[in-house]
Amino acid sequence: MVSPEPLVFSLQHFCLHDGPGIRSLVFFKGCPLRCPWCQNVESWKAGSEIAFKPALCINCGTCVRKCPEHALAEVGTRDTTRCRGCFTCIDSCPSGAMTLFGVQRSPEDVVEELRPEFSLFTTSGGGVTFTGGEPTLYPDFSARLARSLRTEGIHIAMETCGFFDLKRLRPLLRELRLVLFDIKIYDREQHRQMCGADNTVIKKNLKALVEAGSGQGAPAVWPRLPLVPGLTDGQDNIKGWAGFLRSLGISFLTIVPYHPMGASKRRWLGLPAGPELRVPTDAEIQTAGGLFSAEGIMTYKPGEEPFPEDSIGPAQGLPRDLPGAAHDRRVEHRGLPTDGHGPTGLNTPR
Amino acid sequence: MAGLPRFSASLTSAAVAPVEGFTPPTPRIAAIRAKLLSTPYSICLERPKLMEEFWSSREGRRSAKLEHPLVHRALTLQYIFSHRKPRIYDDEIIIGNMTSKRIAANYYIEGGSINILEDFARLGKRTIPLKLTIQETAGVLHLGLKNAFKSVGAKALLKPGRLSYFLDFFRAKRHFVTEEAGIGHQVGNYWMVVHEGLRGPYGEAKQRLEEGRLADGSRLDADQRAFFSSVLITIDGIRKMAENLAAEAEHLAQMKGESEQRRAELLAAAAACRRVPFEPARTYLEGLQATWLIHMALNLEDFEQGLSFGRMDQILLPLYRSDVELGRLNTGQATEMTACFCLKTCETMPLYSQRVDQFFSGNGVAQAFTLGGTDEKGNDLTNELSGLILDAYAQVLTREPAVHVRIHPATPEWFFQKSVELLQMGTSRPSFFGDTAVVRALQEAGMTREHARDYAVIGCVEMASQGRTYNSSDAALFNLPLCLELALNEGRRFHGKARIEGRRRFGAPTPPVSTMKTFDDVLDAFRAQVRHGVDDMVKVIGWLEEVYRTIRPTPVNSILTEGCLETGKDVTWGGGLYDYTSIQAAGLADAGDSLYALKRIIFDQKRFSLDEFVGILQDNFRGREDLRVELASKLPRYGNGDPDVDHMTQLAADAFSDALSAHKNSRGGRYVPGFYSMTCHIGFGRVTGALPNGRPAGRRLSNGLAPVDGCDRMGPTAVLRSAASLDSRKWMNCHALNLKFDRQIVQGKTGRKALVSLLKNYFALGGMQVQVNILDTETLKAAKRDPASYPGIVVRVAGYCAYFNDLQPAVQDEIIERTAHGIT
Ligand code: SF4
Ligand code: SF4
Repeated sequence: MVSPEPLVFSLQHFCLHDGPGIRSLVFFKGCPLRCPWCQNVESWKAGSEIAFKPALCINCGTCVRKCPEHALAEVGTRDTTRCRGCFTCIDSCPSGAMTLFGVQRSPEDVVEELRPEFSLFTTSGGGVTFTGGEPTLYPDFSARLARSLRTEGIHIAMETCGFFDLKRLRPLLRELRLVLFDIKIYDREQHRQMCGADNTVIKKNLKALVEAGSGQGAPAVWPRLPLVPGLTDGQDNIKGWAGFLRSLGISFLTIVPYHPMGASKRRWLGLPAGPELRVPTDAEIQTAGGLFSAEGIMTYKPGEEPFPEDSIGPAQGLPRDLPGAAHDRRVEHRGLPTDGHGPTGLNTPR
Repeated sequence: MAGLPRFSASLTSAAVAPVEGFTPPTPRIAAIRAKLLSTPYSICLERPKLMEEFWSSREGRRSAKLEHPLVHRALTLQYIFSHRKPRIYDDEIIIGNMTSKRIAANYYIEGGSINILEDFARLGKRTIPLKLTIQETAGVLHLGLKNAFKSVGAKALLKPGRLSYFLDFFRAKRHFVTEEAGIGHQVGNYWMVVHEGLRGPYGEAKQRLEEGRLADGSRLDADQRAFFSSVLITIDGIRKMAENLAAEAEHLAQMKGESEQRRAELLAAAAACRRVPFEPARTYLEGLQATWLIHMALNLEDFEQGLSFGRMDQILLPLYRSDVELGRLNTGQATEMTACFCLKTCETMPLYSQRVDQFFSGNGVAQAFTLGGTDEKGNDLTNELSGLILDAYAQVLTREPAVHVRIHPATPEWFFQKSVELLQMGTSRPSFFGDTAVVRALQEAGMTREHARDYAVIGCVEMASQGRTYNSSDAALFNLPLCLELALNEGRRFHGKARIEGRRRFGAPTPPVSTMKTFDDVLDAFRAQVRHGVDDMVKVIGWLEEVYRTIRPTPVNSILTEGCLETGKDVTWGGGLYDYTSIQAAGLADAGDSLYALKRIIFDQKRFSLDEFVGILQDNFRGREDLRVELASKLPRYGNGDPDVDHMTQLAADAFSDALSAHKNSRGGRYVPGFYSMTCHIGFGRVTGALPNGRPAGRRLSNGLAPVDGCDRMGPTAVLRSAASLDSRKWMNCHALNLKFDRQIVQGKTGRKALVSLLKNYFALGGMQVQVNILDTETLKAAKRDPASYPGIVVRVAGYCAYFNDLQPAVQDEIIERTAHGIT
């Protein structure tokens, strides 16, 4: 059971590959899938987690001494049955080797941390991307956070694995301009085995979002495929997805090459090592791109996508009848188009 | 790329269109560049030999005895200018050799160069080898020893009561007075050189002497008469140097086997040198040639550091446009000429011993172009030549020259894009300056707004209103964090190398920490130490500047500086319209973070008594690694957009600015601060004890305005926010803020767009300066292992670019280790 108030495990700034412009990323904790190539394994569990980063540890023994439950027999090995999560070890660790993933934060708090970046979002055509983990696990919170940001004229995008309950997502979707939709394994059974869940609902959601996306007040949808040699780059997989995308009228896709940057995180969390995976070569990336384009799908590198016009640019503020300073800011942020109509007429109150 | 011209030849700058991509170097440029990159460095002994030759001649002995020192100096320079051997290298179309070797450091016997004797036994085996014949090596030794007492430093300091200051040159801790080596650092009046020619000042000086009066009617005194004579003598020397070059070019053109094309090029160069710099330039080529000849003269006059060209995209524009209009020049040719000019700047380098090199690693001298910016009313002046000079540099991508661009709210988008595109090529060029903040600081330092808006960058980041300023910038570097160490130990270092030195008080006698009850007490002691250190440094600089006036006046520099001909004074005598001495502080972020840590741990949280904590620092955190790590990794740091810590950084900066601005220099000008450190933060770091921010003794200090390495936890946007939040009004000498990005992060269109936005935003917040290194660590590691395979990698060290291979291993490591922004 997922708590209604989510945990955020990181805010990252100056990100260039997760939507248009310069963006800040809000990482939510908790994910319904368990893909073996995941680079953010700290996002899997919805609850907060204690981790140990050996590279930072200076072996001072403070954590062991201070643990009231004697749950740390030695540095770096925590007896999870004894530990009651008091975080004394984390507070007292001088180096940050004992560390906590996931803290509860209010939308206001997150907005305040992001606020200094707002002007940069405006100059760069960027904004905020919700990611994780899975932002859709927390439809209420995400919607509230997104709403406060949009009130300030901030462009919001979301990265999702697509495994969500669409009905509960409507309020959030209204706030978003762009959904970066991850697709992985086309075959249903293989997907279940590899990622731990059936992909029927993912496909259904993708279809529904795309169909809604052409209407007003719904975000544009842009699919992305993590390219993992031997796992997602097979001909069948690519053909399967290409056909599916085509049937939805989608002719574009981002290929996200696998990168082992998060490999050490498993150790931090005491998880068993993941499978041996390999970074795709340039040739492999090109081959995959070639297969897609043969099927009529153009592929792009992260950060180089030509996102549709109506999914970029500053967010439209809230309708006038809403209280607060929103109105002034909206005008300021909207900036450029002066013809009284947004590029797509999106400024009609939603 | 075909399809030239890429820039409209129209006379309105608005018509300029942005164009993607740079053209590859022409065969000529590629050939000269390859030659330069494969040439070993050396030392040139021609200048000192000519000097000695003159001094021992009958005329030299006479003038030394009978003439005014200004005249004697001018005669010496004239002798050097007119007797040096002209050398013209293959393929060159801008001519004029910097030294007698293809690439060499000048040996300046008046100061500085003598430090090379420390490396005497291993010139060829240094980290950066110097190639000399056995005779030459002996010559260096002979020259060095014979003239050891003729340097400015020796003359000023080898006196009773000053000896310990002299020794300070060899044990730099609190400050490093570079002015001992030379003053250099200038952006002369190249507008006058190009458009009026030296005929202007020559005629003026002549008239003054004939009338016996200044333009304002006052009678000339003996010094003023000597000054005007020195102008005439020096200009005669420069003319002779130009003529000798012309003759050599003509001679080469006669040689059998020269192609028709080469013959024509040589004759064109000869014709230019027969005319400029005495007469005004009529063509773009003549404009470049005039500038180059004057630049050579400046190099031969004082020393090589920071001699800069100013706003060449303004100065040469009329010539460029008229050439294009008359159909005698196209953009391709102009770009090639400019690239040739750029390559000429590679012929010089400074002479540093390995010891000194840890303070100024990189062999850079920073001969700078300043591009873009506004007119005196604030209107944009960016034009097609601004872009063309970027194009030219893109063909050479060498350590020299430095390229700086001015950014203001109306900077055209294409120029911004193009500048960033050049940056993406990986040479860390150009660096960016925010007009709003810079102009404000210059006005604060006494310039009129109009003059401030005509600023150009001297060398790395220093400032001049071009042709009107004698900045004597970079006169010294100052170790700010050491003042905190002294403040916590009654003016003594925590641990000197020797016991005696450790006990020796060399700071102010501030109270013992046991009597410090509040944070303000600490702050007061810190300020007192900064004042004491500054007082000391200023004293030394004053002595040096005195000696300068007699043995090393600089008539060429004076001809190029407004005010001198009006007042009849050499710049070293205070003739410049604006006169400053500027000093840079190193380790600002370390100082700020340490003040913050003290306040938080000792006075807010009361975790230790100050006494106890200082004991831990004195022991360099021995047995308290946990505390050190906690201080270093858990406390807020400057560079993360945290107003509280950033405020402490401001306090540390203010302590320095206030201490410095309390002084006038020996010419009556102001002392002005700047915050950058070349590589002094490494040298200073070695002698600085443990700091309250968890920095262990000996570790390098923070660099320029940058956060402490690895402490920029929130990414580059927060670094820029913190930097822009500081009040830079007093920083007439600017600062260096280094941002490093992994190449992967900022490549392609996406990276370019992001960088442009990032920089725009920074300057909109009031940012003053920023420079970006785009590196990938893998390449650098490989280059460190195998330098021979990576000859041309340029990185930016503090304010200037250097070949990675020229850097000391410790500096290489720093470059490799330092946060490559964007990597998680
Ligand atoms: S969280 Fe508390 S109980 Fe658990 S290991 Fe740390 S100190 Fe011990
Ligand atoms: S307290 Fe931190 S640094 Fe010390 S032993 Fe434990 S994990 Fe390592």
